[in-house]
Amino acid sequence: MTGMEHLKRTVSRRALLQGSAGLAVGTSLLGGLGAETPAKADSKKVVIGAFADGGLTPFKQKILPLAKADGFDIQFLEDEYGVTLEKWFADAQSGAGQYDLYLLDDPWVPQFGAAKVLEDLGAAGIDGTDPDWISSMIDMGYWPPRQGPRVKGFETATPTLICVPFVGDLQTLTYRNDVYTNGSPVTWDDVITQGKAGVAAGKIKYPVVFRGVSGNPIVTSWYPVFLSYGGKFFDDKWNVTFNSAAGKASAEFFVGTMKQNAPKGVVEFDSDQEGAAILGGDAGAVIEYSGNALKADDPTQTKVAGKLDFGIVPKKVSAISQMGIFIAGIPKSAPNKANSIAFLKWYTSKEIQAKLSEAGSIPVKRSAFLIPDPGNRLIPVALKQLDAGCLPRPRTPDWAKVEELLGIQLNKALQAGSGGGAALDTAATQVTAYLTQAGYYN
Amino acid sequence: MSQSVRRTSRERLQGAGLDLALPYLLLAPSVLIVLGVLVYPLWDGLRASTKLYRYGTVLRDVGFQNYLHLWSDQQFRNALWVTIRFVTFSVAIETVLGFALALFCLHEFRGIRLLRTALIVPMVITPVVVGIVFRLIYASDVGMITTLSEALGGSQVQILGNPMKAFIGIVVLDVWEWTPLMFLILLAGLQSLPQEPFEAARVDGAGAWRSFVDLTLPMMRPVLAIAIILRTIDAFGTFDQVFVLTHGGPGQATTLVSLYGYDTSFKFQQVGYAAALFVTIGLIVLAFALAAVRLLRRVEPI
Repeated sequence: MTGMEHLKRTVSRRALLQGSAGLAVGTSLLGGLGAETPAKADSKKVVIGAFADGGLTPFKQKILPLAKADGFDIQFLEDEYGVTLEKWFADAQSGAGQYDLYLLDDPWVPQFGAAKVLEDLGAAGIDGTDPDWISSMIDMGYWPPRQGPRVKGFETATPTLICVPFVGDLQTLTYRNDVYTNGSPVTWDDVITQGKAGVAAGKIKYPVVFRGVSGNPIVTSWYPVFLSYGGKFFDDKWNVTFNSAAGKASAEFFVGTMKQNAPKGVVEFDSDQEGAAILGGDAGAVIEYSGNALKADDPTQTKVAGKLDFGIVPKKVSAISQMGIFIAGIPKSAPNKANSIAFLKWYTSKEIQAKLSEAGSIPVKRSAFLIPDPGNRLIPVALKQLDAGCLPRPRTPDWAKVEELLGIQLNKALQAGSGGGAALDTAATQVTAYLTQAGYYN
Repeated sequence: MSQSVRRTSRERLQGAGLDLALPYLLLAPSVLIVLGVLVYPLWDGLRASTKLYRYGTVLRDVGFQNYLHLWSDQQFRNALWVTIRFVTFSVAIETVLGFALALFCLHEFRGIRLLRTALIVPMVITPVVVGIVFRLIYASDVGMITTLSEALGGSQVQILGNPMKAFIGIVVLDVWEWTPLMFLILLAGLQSLPQEPFEAARVDGAGAWRSFVDLTLPMMRPVLAIAIILRTIDAFGTFDQVFVLTHGGPGQATTLVSLYGYDTSFKFQQVGYAAALFVTIGLIVLAFALAAVRLLRRVEPI
């Protein structure tokens, strides 16, 4: 018997077809067995998508168990920041229905809003006019924006509430109280002068630390400096104004003085190195979001527990910081829409917002800032910062590209240690060209 | 009785043309998969490259405007130039090192099997992990190189914050990770070479260098060409390691076209423009591969 004949006998066509059919049936059965078990009939299932960030830790630790106790069956799906936007946008656009609720970064709201893929939460019964909302935060949930310039195609559209603030994150100053002994430094001069004295006394290695990596990180670090110098990013017709005299002065200060008083390798610093520098006791002050600030009193996470205090950001002409909140939106394709709306109503109630504040997270309702015993020292400071001034980034779906172009130029100037003003001029030309091509000025 | 029934049934099936259809039926799943995961996305990408997208939806057809716009886009031109330099340096160094290692490992000596195995380890590590490991090596604050430098009395070593050093850094990473692939292909090639010409050359008094130049290199040319083509195509698509290590910075010093295309598509949501970018890169790589194959065919067999 030849090998071929043997094969023919062993694997006949009939056997092959029968085997294939058996395999198909078997696979289907196994698939059926492996199908997701339906949620309990009495629990309200909500699939939440979030990006990994320390700012959500109190919510995860303290509020999720409360939600479970109140009848919500929450699936909390976390991803790296860098991949969430593309993942959720694809989910929303294709109508795949993988999520019931996205916890977005606020600059993404215009992208989702312009694509018209999120539910109208106002129509679903969420009250955007509740005076207890922090007004600058609830403003960010509307598309098109209620104030400021609007992008082409949305000039006359009625603002719709498509997102609600979820965690009220914003930049504040974290500083070493053994270096800045008179309390929070009020001006940039205070930050540098007293910081240098701290270095001379051997208490710290450098007065400040910030994020120098090209793109979003460096722009985020420069932004409060820019605002404190009185800079304005765009005018009401989307003309670039960030390279004004005030803007250029802020950029020169940032790439010059601040770099000289920061770690040598700050050009390559992102939030992990920035956090390590302040929590490790090397830096005197940093402007940051709440993620690392929440670790300031935890001796397992910082070498200088008890030596870190919070204040509003330093000023040149004003003390304005950047707002960057977690904001919740429900995709039109959400499979458990009613549950998600019920969850948002529950979560933004006065009672649960107070619990969030007790858990140590920055709330989104004013009443929760004023509870007698907030879970973190940062919370009253955050309210002070909100009252002093806290602005969101310009509300355009093209912010990511604008930030990229500006970030590259700022990073180049930071490498050189000078030329901040020229960097802004170059970026302004590039941003204007980009926005022209995108039809902003037609 | 049953046998006659079976025969009848078989004959009926044959009559129905099952014998003719069976090969196609067996091929059908593979063909469908290829159509679904390769041909359709490619076609869809080509279509997308001729459209203007805003806010995730198609606004209008723009023909070849996206393709033309690429060449006036400073960021794209920069990314293309960085990629070409990256591919050239990486593949050249990997070829030389891989060839040297393959020649060394051709000899049989104690421990050679272990050495051959150890040499291919970098290649099997996940690219993202490689990126993270090199970040831990290069970081100026707590990186291994800085720690070593400070232990020896030196100062912090700035790699990722310096455009030139960061570029060299990604080339070194790629060389570390992919030299083993070149080594493996070239070692297989060397092991398959006929021994007679070498023995004849030895009898004629040719030294090691003469044998290498006149025999090994010419005979290895087809293998070398295949290895270089494969590696070049692969290097053009490098993404993970650089994304993790530098994300294109400082400035745009390490922005490869893959990174720029990714940002353009997913971060900036310019889907049509990104599609045009990737089609262009695909065509450039295809042109390179065709040119290399043509060159290979011209090589006269030894």
